[in-house]
Amino acid sequence: MADFLSQYSIQRWLEMCPQGYLEDTVYGRGIDETEAEIIFENESMLDAAIQATVQLVVGERCALAASSGLVNAAPDYPSKHFLATQTLDEARHVEIFTQRLYDLGVKKDDLEDLISDRVNPHLVKFAEVLLEKVEAGDFIAGVVGQNIVLEGMAFSVFEMMEAGNRQINPKFAHTLRGTIADERRHVGFGENRIGSLIQQHPEKRPEIERMQEEMTFHMLATFSLAFSETPTDTVQTDGEPVDAEWHGTNLATATPEEMEAVLADTVLGEFKTRLGRIGLEYQTPKIPA
Amino acid sequence: MLLGDDEDFDPHLLDEDAFVGEVQTFEFWFGAVEGYLTGRPYGRSAATPEIELDDIRQDRLITTLCNYCVGETAALEGASGLVRLAPNHHAKVFMATQVVDEARHLEVFLRRLGDLGVTDTDAEIRKRANPALLDFKDSLLALVDGGEWDAAVFAQNVILESMEFTVFRSHAENADPITAEVLHGVISDERRHFGFGENDLGRRMAADPSRRPRLQEVKEQLDAIVLSVFEGALDDLEVPMADRPRLGQEYLETVERLGLT
Repeated sequence: MADFLSQYSIQRWLEMCPQGYLEDTVYGRGIDETEAEIIFENESMLDAAIQATVQLVVGERCALAASSGLVNAAPDYPSKHFLATQTLDEARHVEIFTQRLYDLGVKKDDLEDLISDRVNPHLVKFAEVLLEKVEAGDFIAGVVGQNIVLEGMAFSVFEMMEAGNRQINPKFAHTLRGTIADERRHVGFGENRIGSLIQQHPEKRPEIERMQEEMTFHMLATFSLAFSETPTDTVQTDGEPVDAEWHGTNLATATPEEMEAVLADTVLGEFKTRLGRIGLEYQTPKIPA
Repeated sequence: MLLGDDEDFDPHLLDEDAFVGEVQTFEFWFGAVEGYLTGRPYGRSAATPEIELDDIRQDRLITTLCNYCVGETAALEGASGLVRLAPNHHAKVFMATQVVDEARHLEVFLRRLGDLGVTDTDAEIRKRANPALLDFKDSLLALVDGGEWDAAVFAQNVILESMEFTVFRSHAENADPITAEVLHGVISDERRHFGFGENDLGRRMAADPSRRPRLQEVKEQLDAIVLSVFEGALDDLEVPMADRPRLGQEYLETVERLGLT
């Protein structure tokens, strides 16, 4: 365990992240990069971009609360160190997605009202299930909920959004690539650290699997509502064909139903793989969302 | 990272809201730490020589570093708990930067203990920890657990950080070259932390003076513990009695600026 945890030191984080892929960036993007003009020329596209970014801010606020809350519950120094870096990663994500809202024209004074009005209620429920475990100081359940379920979901959502924006909105795609690199590290820690703890505490399995089932239910409900309300935050054009392929689906031409299906399938597939690696069995939500 | 790179830029010239929006950000944090951490893995450069310490000096250094680890663990756990309590987005982001700073301090001190031949750091820290410092940690975490933002920021970012700043600075003047270099990086962080504490509490008390009596009460509760922690740390560092009042001045001046004498 000690050897793998040495890969998650503060020093390594400094070298990989702020001194690595974030070097020469401001708010996660190049200093000269701006949002694609096409967004500001199309009201529904701008609305969809704001709607999607609000959900990202809320998800990252939850991740910030969870990772900071888990520092005190961590059983060893290396885990505390890693969670400290994750705390700052999540704070950075809150900051850059909040900045994107400002870049899209949201006024600072309107931020909190906008978030309250537009947050997906299922995403709030999803966060509450996780934060209940964190508040209780349950390190194992908290890390599974945060670093496997929440981060696993975020990883796939960011990947899909990055693929959809890569060609037409490089500024936002750039921002997302930095967060994807962070999420990959967070998920890696979750898988590596928790497997051995679950082996030591097999009695925790049923409770953690229940939490995963509940979080998955709310996640699928979040996707369902999000894709039924709005066309997603990928810039679509009527003219030039756009290369926005992700897991076999062209995001530039896919219907909202097709996007929801590919996202849900991808996230659930990843969950099954990652939960299997740490000795847990994926639980299908009992009531279809 | 590009913000904050301009050497002529002085955020103190900004108005209050713009100041907070500028300095309580990831971007500003990285601009600040980049200068003194780049090229210094674990807080020190490869060229800094390791000198041989005699047995007595090495043993004193191990005791001192063990107590630094207790203080930094308190600060790490305090700061991480304060993220949840922070009253606004900027304060949350600042606290998140402080979490990683405190974790880095813990990491560099643990590594220095390893350099000095300590293999079981947990056991060594338990054996050598100053009981007063453990009491302080318990008091701080009780304030955090109680959800008291003002009181916890006062205990952590004003009292604890001022104590650390004073002790680290005094130590760095006489330490071996590697320990001194590590301490200089830590001191730069501490300056930012107690700057935040003083600024945040100062503004909140100016807006609502009824907050002051509770902080006064916390100060009085912690005074005896703070004195014991200071005495223990300065004993370990063999600071002459005549120099001690001068060293406590930083803390007293900060408290005075907050109107809490």
